[in-house]
Amino acid sequence: MRLKIILALSVIAGVIFSWNLHTMFLKVPDELNQGAIFRIIYFHVPPAIASFTGFFLAMFLGIAYLVKNDLRFDSIAASITEVSFVFTTITLITGSIWGRVIWGIWWTWDPRLTSFFICWLLYVGYLMLRRAIDDPTTRARMCAVLSIFACVNVVIVWKSIEWFRTQHPGPVLSIRSGGGMAPGMEAPIWWNLLAFLLLSTALIMIRMRQEAMQREIDSMRRFTF
Amino acid sequence: MNFLRQALAIAGKDLRSEVRSKETVNASLSFALVILMLFSFAFDPSSDQVREIAGGLLWLVYAFAGTLILNRSFARELVNDCLDALISSPASGAQLFLGKCLANYVLLMVVECASFPIFIIFYNARWPSRWALVFLVMLLGTWGITVIGTLFSAMTVNLRLRELMLPTLVYPMLIPALMGAIQLSTILISNEPLGADNQIWFKLLVCFDVIFTILSLALVEIVLVG
Amino acid sequence: MDSNYTFMFYGFTAAWLVVILYVISIALRERKLRAELDRVKRMVEDHEHEAKR
Repeated sequence: MRLKIILALSVIAGVIFSWNLHTMFLKVPDELNQGAIFRIIYFHVPPAIASFTGFFLAMFLGIAYLVKNDLRFDSIAASITEVSFVFTTITLITGSIWGRVIWGIWWTWDPRLTSFFICWLLYVGYLMLRRAIDDPTTRARMCAVLSIFACVNVVIVWKSIEWFRTQHPGPVLSIRSGGGMAPGMEAPIWWNLLAFLLLSTALIMIRMRQEAMQREIDSMRRFTF
Repeated sequence: MNFLRQALAIAGKDLRSEVRSKETVNASLSFALVILMLFSFAFDPSSDQVREIAGGLLWLVYAFAGTLILNRSFARELVNDCLDALISSPASGAQLFLGKCLANYVLLMVVECASFPIFIIFYNARWPSRWALVFLVMLLGTWGITVIGTLFSAMTVNLRLRELMLPTLVYPMLIPALMGAIQLSTILISNEPLGADNQIWFKLLVCFDVIFTILSLALVEIVLVG
Repeated sequence: MDSNYTFMFYGFTAAWLVVILYVISIALRERKLRAELDRVKRMVEDHEHEAKR
């Protein structure tokens, strides 16, 4: 049943991605100033939104673990964080390529990019901490606390557009004030976001099963010693 | 009041132990001087360049030297199960944490105040006219480093890769505070005007300190005890 | 504009490459976990046989 859900999610995500590719290349025109490269936005903004959503969700699951002491919350939080970390990596790489064409530089230390990179570093720390602690309950506890701290930093990332002058483009999506993107160009962003969320759900479910297997291995090992 | 009294007792214990052994401050101060020297080889800065990099250089030195102090903070309690004794004492996790924080803060401020004149001498910089504001920035920035560092020191104390994990976790967390402190220090040391634009860095530092102090006090019990 | 299309494809490729690499790493981890689970199950069975004896 679980496998069927994972497959179904992956297939639906694949269909949405394929349809979006069709929309991106055949329906959406080139952007006036940027030309074809602006289409990277469809693989830059959706993973960014999905990863932020994931990090926050992981924080709430960490809090849920601290309240309920159920290791399943920790498993879900860890799975979500790992997948969100992958999406953060995608955002940084696609953003760098986009910046190379538009700004002429692969990287700049403006506040938003810097904060996003800090996010990435924080969750590298999270993943390293998970590997460094052997005891499951200690690991869950420490990672929950780290997740809460890291999320506060994610808020700083989120707010940095409004706080600092930045080389990164300001808000363009219609849900934020001052957004100026044409609806036809904006729609594939939301569809791609849906596809990324479905894909991430499938990956998270696979990771959760692996975490459950690891818990089974740990408990059986304790039985034999 | 009792809360503060317990915390001050723990801070006093740490400071007394440090005054007797002087192990951490000596190591930290030597490390700070070595970094200052190494940077002078790396950059060989003129006086104009020094003005541009002053803040960054100083706060890198403070952050690196501070990690030595913060690493020792809880690690020194591992010997003879002192950490277990402290945790099972009537002092709560928050009191233990605050006490450690205060002790680390004093030690780090000592190192910073000692290395600042040496920086001025090594790099032929001029003593800033707004030295009081520079000191205020040091107070705010150091509290941010201390709070985060002490909490993560508690988190990593029992790990076998403690010395590796603490910097990995602490430095990304500290970057917003370091950004603010660096910007303000550079402006103040180079005697540039502190415009309205730059006051956001003060706000950032204060917010950082307040938010993470509250968060740390709330969560340290979970980290130490479970 | 040609270089724009090239870099656009670099971007798309990079995004999908990261996803594919992650899926591969998940698959490898699954295989390792299954092998470990089988090994530990065998250990538990051996342990139970010895206990019965």
